[in-house]
Amino acid sequence: MVIYLRSGGKLRDRLKPDVDIYTRKVEVEGTPTLKEILEQLGIPDGLVAFAFADGKVRRLNYRPAEGDVVTLQPPVSGG
Amino acid sequence: MPRSKMEFGRYLRQLELNGWGKEGQKRLGAAHVFMAGVGGLGSSAGIYLAAAGVGKITVCDSDRVELSNLNRQTLYGLADVGMPKAFLAAKRLKEFNPQIEVVPNMAEIDHGGAKKLIEGADLVLDCLDNLETRIAVNRASIATGIPMIFAACSELTGHLSFLHPPETPCLECFVSRTPPAVEPPIPGVTPGTMGALQAMEAIKYLLGVGENLTGRLLILEGMEPRIDVVDIERDPDCPACRGLR
Repeated sequence: MVIYLRSGGKLRDRLKPDVDIYTRKVEVEGTPTLKEILEQLGIPDGLVAFAFADGKVRRLNYRPAEGDVVTLQPPVSGG
Repeated sequence: MPRSKMEFGRYLRQLELNGWGKEGQKRLGAAHVFMAGVGGLGSSAGIYLAAAGVGKITVCDSDRVELSNLNRQTLYGLADVGMPKAFLAAKRLKEFNPQIEVVPNMAEIDHGGAKKLIEGADLVLDCLDNLETRIAVNRASIATGIPMIFAACSELTGHLSFLHPPETPCLECFVSRTPPAVEPPIPGVTPGTMGALQAMEAIKYLLGVGENLTGRLLILEGMEPRIDVVDIERDPDCPACRGLR
């Protein structure tokens, strides 16, 4: 199954985009959770606060579907 | 000047907006907004609330100005380093609009005292910089039923939502409990933008016009640039608002 992960900022450096400057195409076996996919890519889940896909906020236990574009969000702080 | 003796002249350019008018302006003049934190987000939100004529603003922050704040906390200048933010912010906002009341409060916001601090306000603005205090304010907002406008940022990314459970999720329904591994870089434009959007949400709510970001999260990605507004749902296992109906 192919999914697309996107991110901006410093998280993008860890994601290593290959489709465009924000997006990485990822092939996964089965239907893993986002947390498992991040582990597979060597991205510590502490760098990702949550994600959004298909118009909804998704937690790290979300299981992306074929072709999903999942945008990763870093933990945010304040002013 | 007493809030009942409001001068309308300075507000002329906003009175003609749909749903605003003199009645709306009076509603703003009678409103009390509690600002939790007056750093980068609060500097921006505070100016726009004061400019709009929100009648009473409490600015609560226990910190003092540091040199490294000055790239983004636009209420303060070099001469303010070492001074308490709450008192400076109150002074600046009051100078900016003498028609309003601005109350400084240097209290530490924590789980024990947050509820008492926000009681009596019509709205809470979460302009904080750490998760623990945000959670304390979230719990106080739930306990009092006072809605809270959440904003946060890092790098050129910003998040914004209007939280008022059970109508909406609460902060703990969606926010990560993992704090940033390292303090993220924050250029001034990110909290400046998000604070202004936070003030816009506040003004709409206080006037009763338009739609708030209820059940939705606005995500600014300044680098691309793009803005997404995505749905957020209540977490049935949320430790803060579980069971709230």
